[in-house]
Amino acid sequence: MRSRFASALALVLSAGLVTGCARGPEKTPLEVEVIQAVGQKIGALRAGRQAKRPPPTRAQLDTVKVPYVEVTLENRDLLAYLSQQSVRRDGDPGEIVVWRTEDNVTLALRGGVLIATRGLGDDLLSASALVGESGSGPQSGGERRYQIRGLDNDKRSLSLACAVQDLGPEQVEIVELSYATRHLQERCEGGGGVVVNDYWVDSVSGRIWQSRQWAGPTIGYLRLRQLTL
Amino acid sequence: MSSFVTRISRPLRTAFGGRGPLGVRTLARVLTCGLVATGFGASVGLAQSAEEAPRFKPLPPPSLNFYGSAGLLDMPSGEMLPDGQFTTTLSYFGGNARYNLTFQALPWMSASFRYNSIKPQTGLMFGFETYYDRGFDVRFRLLRERRWLPAVTMGLQDFAGTGVYAAEYFVATKTFDTPAWGAGTLPGRLKLTAGLGWGRLGSHGAIGNIGGKRPSFVGGSTGGQLAYNQWFRGDFAPFGGIEWQVNERWGLKAEYSSDAYITETRAHDVFQRKSSMNFGLEYQVGPRTRLGAYYLYGSEIGVTAQIQLNPKHSPTPMMAPAPVPVVPRSDWATEPAHWSQDWAASESSRVQVRDLVAEALKPDGLILEALDVSGVSAEVRYRNNRYRSDMLAVGRVARVMARVLPPSVETFRIVPVRKGMGLSTTVLRRSDLEALEFDANSSDALLAVTGFASAGPVADSAIQSGELYPAFATSISPYAAPAYFDPAQPFRLDVGVDFAASYAPAPGWFIGATLRQRALGNVKNGRASNSRLPHVRTDQVHYAQYGRTLENLYVARSWKPGKDLYARATLGYFESMYGGISGELLWKPVSSRLALGIEGNYVVQRDFDQRLGFRDYKTFTGHGSAYYELPNGYQAQVDVGRYLAGDYGATFGVDRVFANGWSVGGFFTRTNVSAADFGEGSFDKGFRFRIPLDWMLGRPSRNAFGITVRPVQRDGGQRVAVPGRLYGQIRAAHRASLEQQGAKFWE
Repeated sequence: MRSRFASALALVLSAGLVTGCARGPEKTPLEVEVIQAVGQKIGALRAGRQAKRPPPTRAQLDTVKVPYVEVTLENRDLLAYLSQQSVRRDGDPGEIVVWRTEDNVTLALRGGVLIATRGLGDDLLSASALVGESGSGPQSGGERRYQIRGLDNDKRSLSLACAVQDLGPEQVEIVELSYATRHLQERCEGGGGVVVNDYWVDSVSGRIWQSRQWAGPTIGYLRLRQLTL
Repeated sequence: MSSFVTRISRPLRTAFGGRGPLGVRTLARVLTCGLVATGFGASVGLAQSAEEAPRFKPLPPPSLNFYGSAGLLDMPSGEMLPDGQFTTTLSYFGGNARYNLTFQALPWMSASFRYNSIKPQTGLMFGFETYYDRGFDVRFRLLRERRWLPAVTMGLQDFAGTGVYAAEYFVATKTFDTPAWGAGTLPGRLKLTAGLGWGRLGSHGAIGNIGGKRPSFVGGSTGGQLAYNQWFRGDFAPFGGIEWQVNERWGLKAEYSSDAYITETRAHDVFQRKSSMNFGLEYQVGPRTRLGAYYLYGSEIGVTAQIQLNPKHSPTPMMAPAPVPVVPRSDWATEPAHWSQDWAASESSRVQVRDLVAEALKPDGLILEALDVSGVSAEVRYRNNRYRSDMLAVGRVARVMARVLPPSVETFRIVPVRKGMGLSTTVLRRSDLEALEFDANSSDALLAVTGFASAGPVADSAIQSGELYPAFATSISPYAAPAYFDPAQPFRLDVGVDFAASYAPAPGWFIGATLRQRALGNVKNGRASNSRLPHVRTDQVHYAQYGRTLENLYVARSWKPGKDLYARATLGYFESMYGGISGELLWKPVSSRLALGIEGNYVVQRDFDQRLGFRDYKTFTGHGSAYYELPNGYQAQVDVGRYLAGDYGATFGVDRVFANGWSVGGFFTRTNVSAADFGEGSFDKGFRFRIPLDWMLGRPSRNAFGITVRPVQRDGGQRVAVPGRLYGQIRAAHRASLEQQGAKFWE
């Protein structure tokens, strides 16, 4: 009995020695953090092997009483569902909505136009949006300014000259529901490139059902769809 | 709703590759691969198609030569690396192995350190079977490449030290775009290089001479002095070559070498030099790694591995979990009663507020030290063990304050605390926070209305954290202790486990101890000291004989004796070799780029077994120090005083510190010890670099891989290592650093 206890204790101790540990309100030693990070990486690789779940159906969505958007990161065709975290206004036109994933990524939209991301790395720090006091989507052409994180914790400013074009009516289908929309395209030039943001705006209510917007050189384009209201 | 979350969040988690914040990292790693690929496209000089989105173009990095500089095979080129580039090159051919580190310290200047070995096929070289040597190079850009003009660089190779590779040169390189090779591939680049070399690079095919015979290299001498009487003296010879980067992956090189390899081929039998023409093929394995295979001097096969890092291009962008948005008070404090200040009169309400703040800080890994709150203003003192950027932590604290403090509180004072000392005060108005979070230019706009001041003493009305003091912390962590550059074995290593514990009975007091248990290692087999000075650092081998040691055990007190003054007193066993008493005083106003410090230590050398006993050697060592933050992240430091061996002198150091915590720098010390008494190297010098863990992993951390390399460890110009020196703890929380990190506030 005693020897079993001793060997269990030895096992626990040696596990502690190999992986390291830290407690208390002081900084964790470097080696311990490295070991933790490696462990998490292995865990992430394991989790990545799990099979993909089927997308939600409208019947499932109908049971949901709060707003959700679906966001696709085009770079790797990754999908996330975001719930509404806050809705507010400030001194500038347009209602600001912050959407959040369960694992702490947020997107901020002003009048449906993407103005900030957080938690994605090389985030869109802030951006201006050419939106009106009411309604959604770009109301006019003009200058749009982006502040983007990149290079040595730096903030990169980008000033783009944008023109908005109405590409006419389009029918948009989102999980078994079809909406009559107008397709607005915001084409912005500057910084040695072209950014094209697309918005599908409800013909009656002016709500944006779907959009494809640029969030900076690293993140690239995001596709957003309004799943529930 | 809950049913939806469970159903819908599963695909979410799967898509993001895991649970919790981990998934974000996986996602971002995926995103980074995207950037890396794009960056590489740019690195071969791609013209952007008109429809592509803007991107941060990295400059095209030149390929490296056998000496780790931009160049061909054995010859340099006129190119400079991108600013800040930090490269490692391993090269080998015919008994010559070189390990090079190069740092592009300024856009127009790079510096290299090299450790090399030369192994003759038969016999000894300067008395060694394998001759090891160290050397430094510097390169200066004289002309930047323009449309019709080539890039021109002047280089001093192995300019100090014993100078086995000593050479000086001027070299020019012109780049041309070449058409794409086959359908669907990218255009290539052609680089033509021509130069004129002295020293080693003037030893074959000389076309002229300046100043007669060049003073010759003597293997095994003390070295270390600048060999300026050799520079650009003696025969000079032309060299040149061509590099064709066929596409983004493959490169071909050919060169004519002006290095006769006299020492290696005539004095010693290292290899046969049958030709002056060298040829090579290189392949870019990844965005940071390039491999090459070569045929040199008509007789030898050579290989290189070139690894290029740039502090500005992290392998994974830093990701902190998204902060909670600020909700304006107008949205939730809708009645006049909500704005009353009556709560502030009640002690229990204030304690309740303190507990709310402490709890709200925890998810961000921040620890509340004290809260001083009145009806209209609040000061939060906190400890940040998680985020390297102090500005990011300030931003998180501000958000917490805006979320949990009663609506009547308008002025926020945010004070980061380290070792009980308040480091600075960031003053903000709550209404600005509410108004500016989603401003198009939110970080500049906020910085414009933010004040920075020095941190005062803790107010009498402040409520200390109820759960912090007395604070007890422990850690068990592996350690690795290397020893370099012994000619018998260039690299030795000890590994084992550190058991550390600390106890802080009250703010500013700290009792720390570390026990070290070596598991295995060979540092103990190193060479014994031959120093003529007191053996203040060179008895490392004696210390390494013991595997179970007391690494440190000390009591420290830190406090602020005045507005811009910081003080520290430490008593105990500071490090493996010294114990004693130490005191330090630092003057550093929050907005000043200059800091002045004074430190005095009375130390006794510890017994080799590193337990509680001491040896006979006792000395006073102390310094007056000046620190200055130059623009663009350059940090300069001068220390003048008395060193451990009783020598007097000064240490000069410059480091380039990047905003993300990367730092690369060098230092040297001149004291009244003669070169002969000092021994190999003539005086103490070295370089140091630090690579932040968060830069590598993309997750918040304050840790970094740091290393200080001295070509030779001697006894002159040595200082004691006291834990908790002041300047490094304070600078990052002062104004210049906070403003530099300004955009981190909202992250």
